[in-house]
Amino acid sequence: MNEFFVAVGLGLCLLVFLVLYRVIFGPGVFNRIAAISAIGTKTLIILLVLGYVYNRVDMFIDISMVYALLNFIGCIAAAKYLEMER
Amino acid sequence: MIASSDDIIIKTIARIFVPFIQIYALYVIMHGHYSPGGGFQGGVILGASMALLLITHGYDEVKRRLPEGVVMLLGSLGVLIYAGIGLTCLLLGGNYLDYSQLSVILHVDPAHARSLGILGVELGVGFTVMAIMYSIFFDISTGGFLPGDEKQSGEWGDNE
Amino acid sequence: MEVTLFIHAADDAFRILENAKVQAVGLLDTATRLTSETRWMEEKKVQGILKGAQATRSGFQNFVATFVMLMGFWALLSGKFDTFHLSLGVICSLIVAYLSHDLLFANVRVGDGRVIAQRFLRYIPWLLREIVTANFHVAYLALSPKMPIDPQIIRFRTKLESDISWVTLANSITLTPGTITIDIADREFMVHALDRKVAGDLDTGEMEDRVAHIFMEADHIYIQDVLDVSRIFAELKRGM
Repeated sequence: MNEFFVAVGLGLCLLVFLVLYRVIFGPGVFNRIAAISAIGTKTLIILLVLGYVYNRVDMFIDISMVYALLNFIGCIAAAKYLEMER
Repeated sequence: MIASSDDIIIKTIARIFVPFIQIYALYVIMHGHYSPGGGFQGGVILGASMALLLITHGYDEVKRRLPEGVVMLLGSLGVLIYAGIGLTCLLLGGNYLDYSQLSVILHVDPAHARSLGILGVELGVGFTVMAIMYSIFFDISTGGFLPGDEKQSGEWGDNE
Repeated sequence: MEVTLFIHAADDAFRILENAKVQAVGLLDTATRLTSETRWMEEKKVQGILKGAQATRSGFQNFVATFVMLMGFWALLSGKFDTFHLSLGVICSLIVAYLSHDLLFANVRVGDGRVIAQRFLRYIPWLLREIVTANFHVAYLALSPKMPIDPQIIRFRTKLESDISWVTLANSITLTPGTITIDIADREFMVHALDRKVAGDLDTGEMEDRVAHIFMEADHIYIQDVLDVSRIFAELKRGM
């Protein structure tokens, strides 16, 4: 069962690298913000999968909830700042 | 940065989320000895919830809940709690922040007294961190100028 | 034979409704005639007292409902149910509920909460099925070599009334792959759709009907519409 979770985690890391292309080369700042928000959701799932691998899911659920929250608030704050900037 | 957003989706979702974020932050503070968390992490989440309310609903909504005087008070209150517990342990005859001396006041055995002492200290840290996080965010985003103040002439003047 | 009976029954029903409408209009005229200035002012005063009492009562109800939900959330998060941690939970829930009791339940009509929650729980599996179906379609679009997408922006007026239902509809549209809600301005939705098929799925209005069913909105019966239909029906019957 451990190998399945490790394989899932590696697959998600591959997806994160695919989205990283938009963070680096995205023309303009809006593409970068959307890409970072998408990376945030994948990081959440990778943390939970790591929790299953280390057999301590309850600890990792707390961490991933905090990260989801901060991802959400960061995205809204960045969008508000860019709205005022124009 | 402190005008109310006119997008109804964000306003509704933020006002539904903020109580849950705050109760989650208090959970993180209280369960610091058992799962990842503690005072600083919970304080950051509390400050972030206040920042979310400030971004989406504007300054008038947050002013009712957390006026500036209360923010300053909370910041100092946390330090007072921390130092106060330490001094109480000193006055009861032990070292500074030696929580086992608190078992005289609380009528529990020293192991429990240590646990409760750390909980109290974490609470103080949480208050201070929340106040300072919110204060930093607010001061940077407005430059210290609120809509009611008269414009200051000079280099920081046009910040509206 | 049954058809004739049905036609007679429908005829009678329409005539009864017409009589009822005429009588209701007559009653309203009488009431308007009998009302004087002082009576209007007295009624307004009584209503002010009643509305004030209702506002404070719903403030306390909001506080209690928020406290119960926050306590449930605390119990869900913390797995330990001994006295010390539960009392900590009660104190924390009281503080947070006092500070933000007017945030969570700003617009809910009093007494409807249970029905809305039940219907919402029954709406979620349907939404999941829609998401999975749309997922397959968008994956086919994205992976085919010439990528036959046809992006367009759709505007439509909505019949929903409160802000929670707007937000639920907007989030359901955004969760379904292929459509994203861009803006809601004054009851008009602006949605960006990926191609004509997902736009057609949105235009049928099934999602909007289901969201209106959850929040029990837009279920008024308009008597005037029924009476208009009755006139058309009479014409058709005469021609038969």
